[in-house]
Amino acid sequence: MLERTLPILLATVAGLFMAAQFFIPHPAMLRIYNLALDWKQIVFGCTLMLGVVSLIRFHWRKVARRAPGAFYSGVALVSCLATIGTAFFGIETGLYPWLYDRVQAPMQATLFALLAYFVASASYRAFRARSVHATLLLAAGAVVMLGRVPIGDLIGFDAGGERWSLGSLASWILDVPSLAAKRGILIGVGLGMISTSIRIILGIERAYLGQSSGEGQGRS
Amino acid sequence: MAGEKQGTLLSRLTTVDRRVIYLLMTLVVAWPMFKLVTLPVLISKEVAGFDREIEALTAGDHVIFAFDYEPDVMAELDPMSRAVMDRLFEKDVEVVALTLYPGGAGIAQPVLESAAREHNKVYGEDYVFLGYNPDWSGTMLRLGESIKATYPADQFGRDTRTMPILADCDSYKDVKLLVSICGSQLTEYWAALAGGRYGQKIVSGNTAVQAVFIYPFYQSGQIKGFLGGLKGAAEYETAIERPAFGVRGMGSQTMGHLLILLFVVIGNLGYLAARRAGTGGSGGVTGGGGRA
Amino acid sequence: MQWFDPAKTNILIPTLVFVGLVVGYIITARRGINLFVRHIPGLDAIDEAIGRATEMGKPILYSPGLDEMDQAATVASMNILGRIATKAAGYETRITVPNRDPIVLSVAQEVVRSAYQQAGRPDLYRDDDVFYVTYSQFGYAAAVAGYMVRERPAANFFIGHFYAESLIMAETGQTTGAIQIAGTDSDPQLPFFITSCDYTLIGEELYAASVYLGREPMLLGSLKAQDMAKLLIILYVLGGIVGAFFGVNLDFWSGTSGAGAGG
Repeated sequence: MLERTLPILLATVAGLFMAAQFFIPHPAMLRIYNLALDWKQIVFGCTLMLGVVSLIRFHWRKVARRAPGAFYSGVALVSCLATIGTAFFGIETGLYPWLYDRVQAPMQATLFALLAYFVASASYRAFRARSVHATLLLAAGAVVMLGRVPIGDLIGFDAGGERWSLGSLASWILDVPSLAAKRGILIGVGLGMISTSIRIILGIERAYLGQSSGEGQGRS
Repeated sequence: MAGEKQGTLLSRLTTVDRRVIYLLMTLVVAWPMFKLVTLPVLISKEVAGFDREIEALTAGDHVIFAFDYEPDVMAELDPMSRAVMDRLFEKDVEVVALTLYPGGAGIAQPVLESAAREHNKVYGEDYVFLGYNPDWSGTMLRLGESIKATYPADQFGRDTRTMPILADCDSYKDVKLLVSICGSQLTEYWAALAGGRYGQKIVSGNTAVQAVFIYPFYQSGQIKGFLGGLKGAAEYETAIERPAFGVRGMGSQTMGHLLILLFVVIGNLGYLAARRAGTGGSGGVTGGGGRA
Repeated sequence: MQWFDPAKTNILIPTLVFVGLVVGYIITARRGINLFVRHIPGLDAIDEAIGRATEMGKPILYSPGLDEMDQAATVASMNILGRIATKAAGYETRITVPNRDPIVLSVAQEVVRSAYQQAGRPDLYRDDDVFYVTYSQFGYAAAVAGYMVRERPAANFFIGHFYAESLIMAETGQTTGAIQIAGTDSDPQLPFFITSCDYTLIGEELYAASVYLGREPMLLGSLKAQDMAKLLIILYVLGGIVGAFFGVNLDFWSGTSGAGAGG
């Protein structure tokens, strides 16, 4: 009962309440809504602790067992604890902001910068004019790529008081056909999200409990 | 025979070592940084919309400025953050800054401090940095009820109830504009939660990849204007006549795009040559044993 | 004291219609009426991928995305993980699941443990195979990429909600020669997965996949309701276009609240 029914009941009640309070501006509903948001904030804060504990436990076990990669687990542990430790001495000045500015920020920026290389190699490998559709996609991609840099605005001409350039063509592609497709996907994804939420509220969707969804739900 | 040899040579174009691509990319992106190339930047209607909303603000108006990004996309989003913050302080707008990313605090502080120094702004009176809140959706909703309840203390532990800037500003009702500078889909959630539920007016600055998905929200009026990627930053810097890193970065971005296009063309030439020669020509980048 | 905000009527009515559709189709499904769901090609590849990993004696890598447990994509991902883990357990193939979110980690551990129990091989489950990496986006990508290069899994699954790190993981996996199946509702990342993966579930195919694999009537019913709701939206849009030609405004209710005000 505690393991299965109570969480489902909680999810149902909370889900129905949050849906209802959106439409009901009564002060009592607003008070409970604000309370729920406060609780949500607290729970979220605690989940960060869960993450740190799990991280430390995982890497400590590797170090203790001298498993392959234990050295790097040790590095991870020392880095994690050192960063937490430096924060106790102040977050505005000292070692903590130094670690952020000189270690974390450059590492994160570098990893993101790798995407430039991966995009180049993926484009080179995958963008082949294999069919009419692929050729159209390639052409549209080329126009948008050129249109999204200043050179795209320079490749064009003035006519009828307007500038007709690759930049304006790229804008049209983003504004019309691309937007139409994205809106379609957005609507589909939105409906999927609502459907999943309804299933969670009705207790059909139980993946969040680690159970398969819909099992034993009156299989016909 | 000569034709066959040419076909074989051309079809080899489909198997360029990926390390060659990486090296060339490094060189062409780095080169404009040393040999500065300035290109004229035209302002698009999305950026014009963004600029219009900022220019419509008057002295004393409150703006929520969300630094929703981390150092990974700093190169793309910092230029727009700095340009917008400069303009807001220039117009004596009161800025309530926050971040929904744990690494966002380190991004926000230098931007706020340097702009505040330049425009002689006082912390707590002209601007405040509320800091990071882990529950992003709850924060977006809670700000509509009470900013001070969502953030009882600012980033530095000071009581928000005693701050002059928040004396007459406690929810979206008191906020003229929300600026979301974001490297992810959080802007869409701002539009849904803050805009949809509370009617908050929103403008945004997004990475180039993400900006493409802001168009539906812009067209429907849920987002009044946006800056897309480094070019968006360059356009806004041009609009406010303060060229900075956005404009400077256009040289590198242009060269990078041109190189990718060149390799796509080379790859397709090789593919077509291989197809004509009847060798199939699925091709692929070597140096890793990847699936074709 | 207001018990209902009239400005939100334009949201309430479609919500009630959609809920009605979901409930109606679930009842229909429970009565045993067959509900057609089209074939999703990417799902056939799952068996192929697991088989490949088993033959090669290599593990399977499953990334459930970077979002929290309250997001629909992550819920769908957990459903699919359960199915894949059950099959993998049956073939005695190792499945590793690196996680970015601590709550998703707990759920994933439970899902995989249950899957192994269901397959009759609880002895094969290892806690270390479903592990927490880091909350940092690119730290997660670096860890997964490093794992792929070191362990060379034969099959990579990227099922869930992803951000910019998707290309790093997918490209790295591509260089190791693994068969890769992706599924995401994150539109910006779809092009990257499509170029680097063998099969990609696009947008709501991800939600449909979790239903398609299990074929439980209740879930099929909600999927059909989604399709019907989409049809109604299409008809409404077409009606609006036709109405615009004749000067009839079908958009009369969208100006009543901030949610649909626009402009």
